[in-house]
Formats: sequence, C-alpha cells, structure tokens
Amino acid sequence: MPDWNAFVRQRLALRVRPEREAEIVQELAQQLSQASAELVNAGVPEVEALRRAEAQVGDWAALAREIEAAEAAPRHVEPPPPRMSLWAGSRHDLRYALRFLRKKPVFALVAAGTLAFGIGGNTAMFTIADAVALRGLPYPDADRLMTMGAHRQRQPEIEIYTSAPDFFDLRAHTQAFTALAGISPVWNMVLSGGAEAERLECLFVSANLFGMLGVSPALGRSFLAAEDDGTHGAQVALIGYAYWQRKFGGRTDVLNRPLALDGSSYTIVGVLPAGFRYAGEPLASAPTEIDVWLPLAANPLIATRRSLRFLKVVGRLKDGVSAEQGRDEIRRLGAALAREYPESNGEMAWEVRLLREEALGRYRTPVFLLLGAVGFVLLMASANVANLLLARCAERRQEMAIRVALGAPAFRIVRQLLAESLALAALGGAGGALLAQLLLKVFVAIGPAGLVRSQAIRLDARALLFTAAVVLMAATLSGLAPAWRSILPAEMGNALGGGRTLGAGAHRFRSILVMAQVALALVLLIGAGLLIRSFQRLLEVNPGFQAKNLVTISTQVPAGANSPEQRTAVYLAMRDRLLAIPGVRKVAAVSRLPMMGSDLTSSLFAEGKMVAGAPAVEAQYRRATPDYFATMGIPLRAGRWFDERDGRNNSVALVDEVTARRVWPGEDPIGKRVKLGSPPDAQPWTTIIGVAGSIRHFGLEIAPQPAVYTPYAASPLVAPILVIRTSAEADAMVPALAAAVRSAYPGIPAYNVFAMQTLVDRSTAQRRFLMLLLTAFAAGAMLLAAVGVYGSISHSVAQRTREIGLRMALGASRGAAMRMVLGEGLRLTLAGVAVGWLAAGALTRLMQSVLFGVRPLDPVAFAAAAVMLGCFAILACAAPAWRAARVDPLVALREP
Amino acid sequence: METQDLPRGSAEMVLLSLLEGRPRHGYELAKLIESKSESALTFRVASIYPMLYRLERKGLVDGRWVEKANERRRRFYRLTPRGRRALADQRRTWREFFAALNRITGFHHA
Repeated sequence: MPDWNAFVRQRLALRVRPEREAEIVQELAQQLSQASAELVNAGVPEVEALRRAEAQVGDWAALAREIEAAEAAPRHVEPPPPRMSLWAGSRHDLRYALRFLRKKPVFALVAAGTLAFGIGGNTAMFTIADAVALRGLPYPDADRLMTMGAHRQRQPEIEIYTSAPDFFDLRAHTQAFTALAGISPVWNMVLSGGAEAERLECLFVSANLFGMLGVSPALGRSFLAAEDDGTHGAQVALIGYAYWQRKFGGRTDVLNRPLALDGSSYTIVGVLPAGFRYAGEPLASAPTEIDVWLPLAANPLIATRRSLRFLKVVGRLKDGVSAEQGRDEIRRLGAALAREYPESNGEMAWEVRLLREEALGRYRTPVFLLLGAVGFVLLMASANVANLLLARCAERRQEMAIRVALGAPAFRIVRQLLAESLALAALGGAGGALLAQLLLKVFVAIGPAGLVRSQAIRLDARALLFTAAVVLMAATLSGLAPAWRSILPAEMGNALGGGRTLGAGAHRFRSILVMAQVALALVLLIGAGLLIRSFQRLLEVNPGFQAKNLVTISTQVPAGANSPEQRTAVYLAMRDRLLAIPGVRKVAAVSRLPMMGSDLTSSLFAEGKMVAGAPAVEAQYRRATPDYFATMGIPLRAGRWFDERDGRNNSVALVDEVTARRVWPGEDPIGKRVKLGSPPDAQPWTTIIGVAGSIRHFGLEIAPQPAVYTPYAASPLVAPILVIRTSAEADAMVPALAAAVRSAYPGIPAYNVFAMQTLVDRSTAQRRFLMLLLTAFAAGAMLLAAVGVYGSISHSVAQRTREIGLRMALGASRGAAMRMVLGEGLRLTLAGVAVGWLAAGALTRLMQSVLFGVRPLDPVAFAAAAVMLGCFAILACAAPAWRAARVDPLVALREP
Repeated sequence: METQDLPRGSAEMVLLSLLEGRPRHGYELAKLIESKSESALTFRVASIYPMLYRLERKGLVDGRWVEKANERRRRFYRLTPRGRRALADQRRTWREFFAALNRITGFHHA
C-alpha cells in the first residue's frame, strides 16, 4: 500500500497556497486509494489496481493546470444578510455558551439550580395569584355574578346568610337580576341501601343555579324548574363527577337509578362535569367535591321561619344593570322586608358582593404578599448567579480583552455573556417549572380549602408564559452586570496587562451584590418572623372553651313537634341515643355555637343603669341546656349554672365576664336584674344567676364580646346545635354520632357535622399556611444569602492568597488572617443588615392586615432575623477563614 | 462519452443535481455519475475535482472536511442556497432548450 499523499504530491505540481495544496493532495490521494482498494477487493492484483487507479487521472500536468485555473477564479463572497448587525452570529453565541456550560458542569448546576429555586417559586406563586386575583371564577361572565345576604346591622364581621322566606321574596320581586339561586350549607346525608351506610356531602341548590353558572351536566340533565317549585322538591338528584367515578365506575347506566339518602329515595337524573365546584360553597369539612346535589325545595329547612338564616344566595345581573343598581335594589327589597317583618328582619343589613370577592377576596393580600416575597427570592437568586458569572468573567478577562483588541465590537462580547446567562436561566426555567409543579401539588394538598376548592390551580399556558418572562428577566439581571463590567476600558487594560484578578471596581460591585442579598434576605426573614410571632400569639389565645374531643352537629326537630314538650322530647331522644354510644361523655344543646360564623344578638338593659337615649349593650344571645357549659369546658366565674329549677317558671340568665365587667364594673352581677330585647318596656325582668367565662365566638383573632345565656327549658329550640364531648379522638366518632342523631326520629337532619377542633383550626388555617410559605421562602433566601457571602469571601481569599502569605511572612499570625477574613464577611453582612432593616421598616407596614398581636416594627422579629442571618453569614465565612489561616507563606509567595 | 465532450454547463449541472439531495464527497460523486448514467458518462477524476473547486469558488457549493467515527476524514460538498438557485435556473434553460428542440424536430427526449 503506497503512501498516497506522497504519491500524489510527487506527480502533481501545484502553484497554490500551501494549506490549500495540502487539502487538494489529500482529497486526490483519498480518491486514488479508495479506487485502488475497491479494485483489489474485486480481485484485481495490487499492481494492476494501482495502474488503473492512476489511469483515472490521465495527464497530471493537465490536471494541475485545470486545478490552478479553478483556484485562480475570483471567490464569490456572499453578501451579508440585511439584519446582520445586532443578531448575526447569535446562534453561534448560544452554541458557544452551551459548550462553555458543558465544560463547567458544577458551575452550571449551581447557577441553574439557584435560578430554578427562584423561578420555580415565582411560577408557583404566580399560578396561585392568577387563580385568586387575576383570572376570575371559571364561569362565563363571572363578574356579573353577585352574592347577597343579611347580617345584623352592628355585626358586619358575620358571614351573610339569607332565610328561605326572604330568598323567595327577593326572587319574586327582583328586577335587576335575571335569576337568583339559593344554596344550602353542606349537608351530611347517609346513603343506605348498599352493603354499608355511607356519609355523603350534599348541597341543596335552586334548579337555576347550573344554568346561571353556565354548567351543563356531563351526563343526563339538570334540574327542571318544576322540580324546585313548592316546598316538596321532586326526589331527583345530580351526582358529582368524582362520586360518579368512585361509586359507579363512570358507568352511563347510572341515570334513573335510585339513591336512598337519609331514608328518602332520590332518582339520579344527571352527572355534573369533572371538577365542577361552586366557588361560594359554604363551610365544608374537607376539600373534596360535593357528592350529591339536590333541589333546594327538597331541603328539610326550606319551610322554616324567617329568622333561620342558612342559605347562600347568588344572582346574575341583567344586561345593562350595574352592580351598584343591583345592590340598591336588594337593599330596597331588604328594607321592605324589615318593615313587613320587623320581628325577624328589623335589624338586618343587606349586603351584595361580587361572588369573586366573596369566594376569593380574603386570599388576595396574603397571596400578593407571598408573590412579593418570591420576587425577592428571584432577585437574590439572580444576584447570586451574577456573582458567580462575575467570578467566571475574571477568569476569562484576557480572552475577552484580546477579542476586543482584535476588533470584536463590544456588543458582541456583551451578547455572548448574555447568551451564557440566558442558557443558565433557561436551564433554571426548566428546573423551575418542575419545582413549581411540585410546589403546587403541595399547595393543593395543604392549602386553604376555600381557595383550593373554588379554583383549579395548575400550571397552564399563562403560567409558562410568565415563567418565560421570568427566565428572560433572570437572565438579564444576572448577566448584564458581569457583561457590562467585562467591557469597561479600565478592566480591559488591566486584563491585557496579564492580570487575572478582578479590579477594585469589580470587587466593590460584587460586595454591593452580596450586601443587597443580605438585605433582601433580612426583609424576608423579618416578614416571616412577624408572621411566626403572630401565629404564636394566636395559638396562645384561649378560645374560652376546650375544642379537643368535641363534636358538633346541627339539627332540626321535625315539623310536627310544635309544643315545647315535644321539642324537648325530641332533643332528649337524640341525647339519650348519643349518650348510649361508648366514648360519649356529655351531650348538650345550644342555639349558636362558636366558630360557625353565625350569631344572634339581643339588647341588654340593666336595672338602674338605663339612661334615656343611651344605647343598650348588644350582647350575643344564646339559649343553652344546663350541661352546655360543662360540655364545652366553659368555666364558671361566679354564681351557679342553670339547673332543673330554671325554665319557663322563673326568668333567669347567665352573663359572661365581658358583660359583667362592662355593665357592672366593680359590682357583683349576681342577683341583678336585666331586660333582654327591645323595647325594654315590653320585656320581663330577668335575674342574673351566674357569670360564665368569655369565649371567642367568631375566631381566635376576634376578642370576646358581651354574651348572655338563657336556659333551654324556657323555650326549647327548634334547631338545636348539639355539642358532644367524647373521651376518644373526636374525628373517628363523627359518623357514628351523626347516625345516632338521625336514628332518634324519622327524617331528622344532621348537618354541619364537625369536630370542633376542625373549626378552630379552620379559623387559623389561612394564617398557618401564609406563615409556612413565607417561612419557607425566607429560609431559602437566607440560604441564598449565605451562599452569596460564602462565594464572595472565598473568592476574595483565593485572590488574596499572596497578600495573606506576605502578611504571614512578615509576622502576622494565623488568627490575624482568620480575623481579617471574618471581618470582611461581617462588614458585608452588617452593611446588608443595616440596609435590610431600613427596607423592612418601610415594607412591613404592608403586612399590618395579616399580623395579630404584633406590631409591624416588632423589635424581637427585627433583632432575631438579624442575629440569625449574622450567624449564617459567619458560618458561611468559616471555611474561607479556615483556608486563609492555613495559607503557607512559602507556597503563596512562590505562586505566579 | 467523455466529459470533455459535454457542454461545459451540463457537467456542472450534473454535479449540482447530484448534490441536491444531500452532501457527498468526490469519490461518491464519481461513482454515482458512473452508475446513474449506466456508464454512458465517465467522469475522469481529473475533471471532477477542478470542477468542484470551480463551483466552490463561485459559491455554488460548499466543501467541508467531515470526520465520522471509524471513517477517514473526507471533504463533503453541499449545495449552497446560491447553488440551489443556479441549478433551478439551469434546469429551466435546459427544459426550454429541449422543448424548442422538440417543436423543431419532433424528437422526444426521455
């Protein structure tokens, strides 16, 4: 086998550039070698093959002339494309950037991971904020949907409800709304007929609700208007999609099947679409979909009196009618009702609100607070990456400087560095999207039920678009400063002079970045600290009763039980059934229970304290059985509880501590006489026999208000709320207790069945959630700040190795070197803390509405955050300081 | 028929059209011309390479050294956008030429 290159070169005498000649020779050599090899493979002897291959060339001199002629032809130059200027070669830049990152995988991972943290948090919070505040409810024309209801004039903090008669009157007279629909509380009903009785969550709703929300059933039909007329609704039911899948495996023959609920039989006429929820869904125990929907007319409370307010009402405004006009109309109709029925409606104030506000409004402040917090985290992540890139730039300054010296325009350098940060941010964006997915899963699992139930919260195109924007922002934020620094003339000169260390300017810039990070982290830590302190304060609050192992069930005596004796008999039957269950220790009944969001007040006039024209004390009014206080764990402060002596024959009452202090300051209220109700002249005298401990009726955050109790026996309740004290874990007993209530009397309802602790937790759930999230973000921010400090200090130590070595050679101790490094870190941190304190002082005021028992400038939160951050910063400096102390002067000084 | 006998433009067109589908190296081009024309045309190595160099100078093709695993480094030629346009132009010219020839002689080319 000859050396083909030599073979060709011997024969071909070319007068072209040597590099070009080498290429041509190689190409021809390959041609000949392959041709001859093929011939040899075909069986031609090697010498003959060589000859034939060479014969392909023929005349070498002629070939040389032809090649020279071809090479001498003028080279065609492609004219530059018109949009060359700014973007030309940007693909090349990106390729170069990717190659660079591949070569530095650890750097790329750290930087992209840092950005992923910031981007993921932002994407997740944006998705939530989008659902809460930007996107609106998932119904057509949702901003035309209004909720309405009434509360006592002096109690705007109470949730608004409507009674069934009021609802029917509004519906009959409204001109402003195309339709009004009523929605019951979540009703726990027992499904029988199967192998095992099952407790289902049901809602009674007006037939027109689905049409109003623009929802049509996935299967079958919706309720007909006729099925919701009168007071005996047709026995038809719609089932929720999840229940359909769970119970019937999604079979289509489910239509027309009977459903035995609480002893009545309903026919399934349709299945609602997957994920359908009513956004204004009232108080519910678990974040699940409603199982069964029934016509409102079939609700057992629908024929009750006007003072029983239990319905939520939603309406759609007519075209051309403003929300203001709708509100005016409902207030007008409400005023008419008050004139007509002063007894029940006299003191009611009517409210009309956007359904969206009612469902989601209370989440807005916390969600935007969190969005701001993750914005901070993103800023910090970008600063960290900027710092890393700056350090990289230092290593590549000579390369950049030479490129500029050779004529590369500055913007090309900037663009290339930006391409690198963009590649990093894109990588971070991909990681961030995954992280966001995970965060949202956690959010849906533990987030406030009211929020998770009413809106589908998931990553969608909008969120990904937002992520893309965030990626671009992060790329610019983290890349622009390093890129700009690298083309400063001062830097250039230094770099060309052979320096590989950062100039003083760049060092100062990095210090500022680290300081800013420390400041941002401090602001977040202070915010989280304030929330943690608020939550602690809240948990320290004594609600005035013991919620543990306490179950509540709302019920209603049957329509036939009209006399006080009959009502008492029904109550006693329920009580006996409950007491028969092992683990039940006490049972009592009351008219209004704490933490359920509803209340009734009465004007209280004390004997000898009535001043003409002065307002009476508005006291929360409750009727309770004698054992109510013991069951709830409410302490007796003075006097005695109710007992069998008290009833219709003597008029007695208990007051709570707040009332006692307010009405009889410094006096003993026992034996004092009051009148309950207005006008006082029409009321009998009532004697105070005891003082009960105060309770927080509306939630842990709202201070106890005056309360007065009268004995159950004086006027047995039509709709008693049962409270049951259990010896075992209350949650597990809930179904058995509800079943016992239902079994006491045919057709008796049991709804709002809750473990009391669930209600108390619910009143703190939103705050707990906000606190957890902000704390998590703050912890992440602190970590980022520590990484920033670590990166900056260890880089500075690496650059000052010679200096440190020199100092040591001149007699400085290892301790001094360590102190020098720690001092530098501490100076940075302290400067950051100072800036952070100022910023926090300005920003925490925005948190006022989510704080409880803590001032926005709480010194403990401010100090604790600074100390914590300081400790972390010192920790971050420890390793570089240790390295500084171990510098060997001889080695350091020998280094180039 | 030897390449020298073909009109100059047509030899170039043969090369351009062979590069239309994908980049090829010189040896492959020679083999292809031999097999596709059923040996009616035989390119001499001597003529293929100067022709490729000329096409390259004109900016119609672009030659690049490509290294593949377990293969030696080869120079592949691919059509540039300008080459693609030139090929289309030449095709049109030839089509018109044959159409005219047809009308005059009643001769049908394959």
